[in-house]
Amino acid sequence: MTVYRRMKSQSVSWSIDCDLVTPKKCHELFPMLNVEDVLGGLWIPGDGVGDPHLLCMSLMREATDKGVGVMEDCSVTAVLSKDDKVSGVETTNGAIECDYFINCAGFWARQVGQLARPQVKVPLLPCEHYYLHTKPIDNLDPMTPVIRDPDGYIYLRERDGCILAGGFEPIAKPVYEEEIENASQRCLPEDWDHFHVLLQELLQRVPGLNQAVLHKLCNGLEAFSPDCKWIVGEAPEMLNYHVAAGMKTVGISAAGGVAEATVDEIIDGYSKYDMHELGVNRFLGLHNNKRFLRDRVKEVPGVHYGLPYPFYEFETGRNLRLSPIYPTLRDNGAVFGQVMGYERPTWFETVENESEKPRPFKIAHTRTFGKPPWFDAVQREYWACRERVGLSDYSSFTKIDIQSQGREVVELLQYLCSNDVDVPVGSIIHTGMQNERGGYENDCSLARISENHYMMIAPTIQQTRCKVWLKRHLPSNGSVTLSDVTSMYTAICVMGPFTRSLLSELTDTDLSPSNFPFFTFKEIDVGLANGIRAMNLTHTGELGYVLYIPNEFALHVYNRLMTVGEKYGISHVGYYASRALRVEKFFAFWGQDLDTMTTPLECGRTWRVKFDKDIKFIGRDALLKQREDGIRRQYVQLLLTDHDHELDLWSWGGEPIYRDGNYCGQTTTTSYGFTFKKQVCLGFVEKRDKDGVTQKVDNDYVLSGHYEIDIAGIRYAAKVNLHSPNLPTKYPDKERDVYQATRKLHEPQQFLGRHYQP
Amino acid sequence: MGVFDGHGGPACAQVISKRLVDYIAAALLPIETLHKYIQQDPREALVDTFNNRVEILQELKILYERSFRQYLAELANLPHEGYNVPTALEQAIIKIDQDLSKEAVEPYKLNQVINPQTLSVALSGAVACVTHVDGPNLHIANVGDCNAVLGILTEDKEWIAKKITKEHNSENFDELKRIWNEHPDNERKTVIRRDRLLGELAPLRSLGDYRYKWPIEILMKVAVPLIGPKAIPANYHTPPYLTAKPDLYYHRLSTRDKFLILASDGLWDMMTPLQAVKLVGEHMKGKVFFNPLKLPRKNIQLGDINELLLHRKESLKSKPKDRNAATHLIRHAIGGTEYGVDHSRLAHLLSLSPDVSRMFRDDITVTVMYFDSEFLRQCPA
Repeated sequence: MTVYRRMKSQSVSWSIDCDLVTPKKCHELFPMLNVEDVLGGLWIPGDGVGDPHLLCMSLMREATDKGVGVMEDCSVTAVLSKDDKVSGVETTNGAIECDYFINCAGFWARQVGQLARPQVKVPLLPCEHYYLHTKPIDNLDPMTPVIRDPDGYIYLRERDGCILAGGFEPIAKPVYEEEIENASQRCLPEDWDHFHVLLQELLQRVPGLNQAVLHKLCNGLEAFSPDCKWIVGEAPEMLNYHVAAGMKTVGISAAGGVAEATVDEIIDGYSKYDMHELGVNRFLGLHNNKRFLRDRVKEVPGVHYGLPYPFYEFETGRNLRLSPIYPTLRDNGAVFGQVMGYERPTWFETVENESEKPRPFKIAHTRTFGKPPWFDAVQREYWACRERVGLSDYSSFTKIDIQSQGREVVELLQYLCSNDVDVPVGSIIHTGMQNERGGYENDCSLARISENHYMMIAPTIQQTRCKVWLKRHLPSNGSVTLSDVTSMYTAICVMGPFTRSLLSELTDTDLSPSNFPFFTFKEIDVGLANGIRAMNLTHTGELGYVLYIPNEFALHVYNRLMTVGEKYGISHVGYYASRALRVEKFFAFWGQDLDTMTTPLECGRTWRVKFDKDIKFIGRDALLKQREDGIRRQYVQLLLTDHDHELDLWSWGGEPIYRDGNYCGQTTTTSYGFTFKKQVCLGFVEKRDKDGVTQKVDNDYVLSGHYEIDIAGIRYAAKVNLHSPNLPTKYPDKERDVYQATRKLHEPQQFLGRHYQP
Repeated sequence: MGVFDGHGGPACAQVISKRLVDYIAAALLPIETLHKYIQQDPREALVDTFNNRVEILQELKILYERSFRQYLAELANLPHEGYNVPTALEQAIIKIDQDLSKEAVEPYKLNQVINPQTLSVALSGAVACVTHVDGPNLHIANVGDCNAVLGILTEDKEWIAKKITKEHNSENFDELKRIWNEHPDNERKTVIRRDRLLGELAPLRSLGDYRYKWPIEILMKVAVPLIGPKAIPANYHTPPYLTAKPDLYYHRLSTRDKFLILASDGLWDMMTPLQAVKLVGEHMKGKVFFNPLKLPRKNIQLGDINELLLHRKESLKSKPKDRNAATHLIRHAIGGTEYGVDHSRLAHLLSLSPDVSRMFRDDITVTVMYFDSEFLRQCPA
């Protein structure tokens, strides 16, 4: 019911009319339902059904009326490209020249992708998917609601006086060995034993079905992607090659929106809504490995109906990308989460039995909407970072070297970045890469390694995406080269007040602020190793360093840090602790807070946009216009004042925000603030008039409201912040405290490092 | 290794299973070793045996020992071509068949007495499927209606059954043609009747069965006194009608070849080679192979389907933990139903008294031989 309460509470954001109903009401809505073990339901009066076949036929008729040609019984044999752009399609009926190609081949999409030259990766694999039709049932109301029983993994509905029922079993059967060549093979022989788990749930939920006569059991195939999300958007391998696949049985309801988004992308170059979570460029090559897919999609259909717990982790396809220090971290209690195939420690358990090595691999499951089981571990790590030294594995971050012979790289980056990247060598600049609308395509740190060489650090999930963005803007003469060095470096972050003392014991480089200030870069020796790219920043707001270590030195440097760090009380720190730090510090993160629709002006980062650069960067006009017109939403930090983190359900993102009782936005990322001792929510606040149209907002508007956040139906009062707070600390650091990720426009700068140019 | 399926009494099959391997082994001995071996007294056993459950009567032992010594002497005098497995298999099978005849007829020829023991061996019969494996070389000799089936696992992890042998029965058209050609045209209607040799014998080749091999005079003198005039089959004009000459097969084992199933017709009447291979394949993996459920009738209610599936699930739980793949095959051949192995059916069919059991099931003999893929991978080509 918690999930239903959350759905009900969040339905306001989508304007979906729905109600929580009692078991009695469920029974009234569908008298055949067994409600003995039912606690309640969610009733969506506007829910409906459609016939996929008829829908397709009518769409096709509409299209042909408007002059669209349809060829049937014609197979694609190749998709050709010229200059990285779609140029034509070869079919069994001859070749077709074309400018655009959309791969919406359903569960064949992966195979069709492989027909492209170069190959386009569409990582999905079909699974057997079962649904049965009964013979007609007497007195079955045609307005019988569609029933979904997520606990039983099943759904059922009325169809022509019969029941159609199916489900998403927790362990699915992927189609791996069989190659499905043509439409006549799209239904596989039924495996009743496999369907049995669903049949039992159906009979349990609707006992009347025991007497229903079977018409047929269908084993249709449905394709699932490795993360149970659709795959849409332009392929990274080829311009004008679009994908719309992996709809996992909801294609009929998704079709309209996906088609609109695809058409928008073709005509305008972007869609009306941010779609990075669904983009085909969220994958790496590993995701298209057929064996990986076979292992993974076994559990994917189950996720479709499973409980959407926060920080969902898959069980299969694990231990794929591992940093050199992975085994050591695992033996020290690391519990792992997977991101882009990378095993990233999320928190560290206390290791009780030191001798047990290797420790078994553990997956980071949260499995609650309340106070999570990892709370104490993360709290311990949080305080290590704030009062001692924390060591964290940042290796999964996307790392890209960009360089040129002459100044071409500087000119390219000035064009791509909204901040001024022409900074002295050794500086690090944090910048967005905006699109034409001013939204964030990427948010990254650029370290100027030498005059014409930058190292870009971007979020892990950007590894394919940001490379595509860069590549599409590279000068055609090849003067700027780009190399993905993600897998060459192990990144270890040490953070906390004593990190400078710790690191200075291991290197001869002078680490004093005057020589190595905040937000600068140096290539240094650590221990006996050399060539370590040290950056004086932590991405969390703590004092510290991120060391980019050539892989073969990683274990050495790690061991030295741990040995010398002992007297500073060094602890391992996982991702959740650094996340808690950055949320409390009000740091926005691309992919979680920022996306392609969010502009720097909306999230307090106007100070990082250099409108007066010589080179007109992408998105400048849009941002200038927004500066004139004002923004229509504002990124804020909200602290829940009357929330009990022990007893109340937590906010996990996506919760509605109310201003003076009116819905005004949603939270993005949230965390418990261990210093504030309060739930901290980041999110966007809008101003809507009575027709729901968004209006201009300013600081005064945002600050003058009374805010509440609705968590699963209960509203908690919240205090709003527009700027990064100064957290009280036992170890104040003048340099760090002045740095605020989110701040007022053109705030006068106080003390800054010699090279620091915000 | 071999399977021996007897008929007309167990005597022939038991004797063959005891003696044939020695005959084969002797034929494979290098000539010098053979000479030395003949000199040995007492002679050591040529082969170690498994599953050796029957003991031969003392007086027969002496008789057989004499035959074997003669056979060794003959071998020593034969021109020796060196190690040749197919020749050895064929020689040994034909020779032992001849010895069965000799041991029954000789006492009569010498002393006009009938030895009922050797005679019952010669009058009963047995089919045999014998294999010899040497490194990657698999030789098979087959007489009668047993079959050898190879279980192959493809790269796509799918099981394929390769039937190596061709059974000698009336379904084998080449075999029918052979028999028709060996006898005058006027016997064409009688030599195979009701799919049987002379209307009596189902396998068209076998060991023993001298009622179909001896001339009429010998049958009259040796067999009729013991079992009466029906000893001579009807339409018995141009004997011999039966031979023990085996068909020989060779297969070079590859890493895809995982096992060989040798089984009597009792198994192959109950399941196809592919079913057998899948059962053994799944057994190898420790899983029970289930045929997918076929709904038993139309217009079935969902509740009934649920019952059926629960039943299948139950039999899955109580799945036979056969340690032996051959047992596993027999259990499925006899007890197999739509919802897995039905234990009560199995128990019933196995506990029938011997005199009626033949009406419900055939006897089944199965041997499964596994191949070491790692060894085969490293075998020189």
